[in-house]
Amino acid sequence: MTTPHYAMVIDLNTCVGCNACMAACSMENQTPVWDNKWRTYVHDMEIGAGTENEVKRRFFPRLCNHCDNPPCMSVCPTGATYKLDNGIVLVNDEMCMGCRACAMACPYDARYDVTYDDLDKGTEFYGELHFRTSPSVDKCSFCAHRVMKGLKPACVETCVGSARLFGDMNDPKDEVAKIVASGVAKPLMAHLGTRPNVYYISDLERNV
Amino acid sequence: MEGMFYSTQELWTWWIAIYLFLGGLGGALVVVSGLTNMYVKEHKELVLWANISSLIMLSVGSFMLFLHLLHHIAVINVLNPMVLINKPDAWISWGTQFIVWMMVWSFVYTYPYLVDSKFWRGIPIIGGLIGLFGWVGNLSLRFHKLIGWLAVINGIGTVLYTGLLLQSFPAVALWHNPGVPLLFIVSAFSTAMAFLLIALYVFIKNPEDHGLKVLFERSDVILIGIELLIIFVFFQFTTYGLESARYTAKILWNDMGWIIGFVGFGLLIPFIIEFRGVTKGWKGSAPIVLAAILVLSGGYLLRHYFMYAGVYERPYPAINSTHHLQMDGSVQTQ
Ligand code: SF4
Ligand code: SF4
Repeated sequence: MTTPHYAMVIDLNTCVGCNACMAACSMENQTPVWDNKWRTYVHDMEIGAGTENEVKRRFFPRLCNHCDNPPCMSVCPTGATYKLDNGIVLVNDEMCMGCRACAMACPYDARYDVTYDDLDKGTEFYGELHFRTSPSVDKCSFCAHRVMKGLKPACVETCVGSARLFGDMNDPKDEVAKIVASGVAKPLMAHLGTRPNVYYISDLERNV
Repeated sequence: MEGMFYSTQELWTWWIAIYLFLGGLGGALVVVSGLTNMYVKEHKELVLWANISSLIMLSVGSFMLFLHLLHHIAVINVLNPMVLINKPDAWISWGTQFIVWMMVWSFVYTYPYLVDSKFWRGIPIIGGLIGLFGWVGNLSLRFHKLIGWLAVINGIGTVLYTGLLLQSFPAVALWHNPGVPLLFIVSAFSTAMAFLLIALYVFIKNPEDHGLKVLFERSDVILIGIELLIIFVFFQFTTYGLESARYTAKILWNDMGWIIGFVGFGLLIPFIIEFRGVTKGWKGSAPIVLAAILVLSGGYLLRHYFMYAGVYERPYPAINSTHHLQMDGSVQTQ
């Protein structure tokens, strides 16, 4: 059996902007939401110009792209940012010294600080903290702890519009692999050489 | 997807600019003083001035960086020399090791001069401590050139690292290009020449150093000239380059602090003063000292503006920044 290579497809046509993914992620991963720090975030944007009918609302979910060439990992001096064989990029908070080089290097703005204060507030807010013991510069983990148990990431599981699909790029029968192979879903800013593993189906073709 | 968003960052700001400035200056001081002492003219006072100042600068710079870490204890992971085997792709790993070893070797190299120095030996407690470890000086003298070269090599690494660190961030056009390390190297050596000129003219004041002063002035004029050319190249690169670079151009070339402060007072004016000094000479030392002070201020401003003017391009607005750039070059603060 080949090692899986995980990826996500996000369909901008079906995201309704309910933010359930943000809520599910923050409960699952105990993120410091009180400081507006999210592992995944859904932007509410306007696209188009002119009359009311020509302007559309676009909901744009974002998260760490689990890049195959992650600049956040290559700049990380402590080795706290590392990559699993299945493509998931993780952060070891005990090794991380919080220099923020990863946040500077990440083209996708996927990193956020977890401070001592956040740890204290987190304990008040969520009770026992399952994923972190020390400050770090954190990010989405593709819910690796769930994926290893055969579950989907919390955001995918909860998405009411089925806008998020999670799958294995090494399995040609996987829906995600098929969508990516079809060319309909594209990664963000691929020209930077990061080889992201989050692909977006654009809503533009349908709306223009 | 269409419609990109442009923003600067607020993660690494003035304190990183100070760190980069002091790192570049401190590294170049060790290189210039070491090579001068070994191959141009033996000069204990110059080495003392350069290497002790470098030690203080690197300590201050590194301490500022340390203060801004989120998880201080984990710094041990980069202080361990094994980091070069575990994380050779990260420039902070190399930089930390270069800085630490440069401080160690330059201090050991300078030690025999400390032992001989009336000034340092006269300071209560410190003078006594210097005498107590006199054997370090004797050992250092036995391998002085080797130790000098170890300090110089780590000094070169420190200077190189400051630019390569910025270059390793791929999302920002201003930083991710080979011009940045070159610019930072030239600027670091120029500021080091300026610092040594101040030391020679204001503090050491030895008439026998005339030749050395001329050498440093000439070198500085050439370095400032090259820096001006590199800045012109950056002007072209940002003004007619990638979209994020164009936003950078709008930030820099609309800012009087950059145009008048850095390019004018930090480069052009000292260039003119020092050029006049090299070609026709000045009666007193004041113009050269003034030019050197301006060069040092310019060295900081360069790094300050580089940190603030780096622009990210993304398909959505940044969460890490409250500064969002508009098409007309204005900045919208959230
Ligand atoms: S999106 Fe950013 S944080 Fe995630 S792997 Fe890529 S560079 Fe690293
Ligand atoms: S903040 Fe932590 S994870 Fe990020 S580069 Fe520094 S040590 Fe690595």
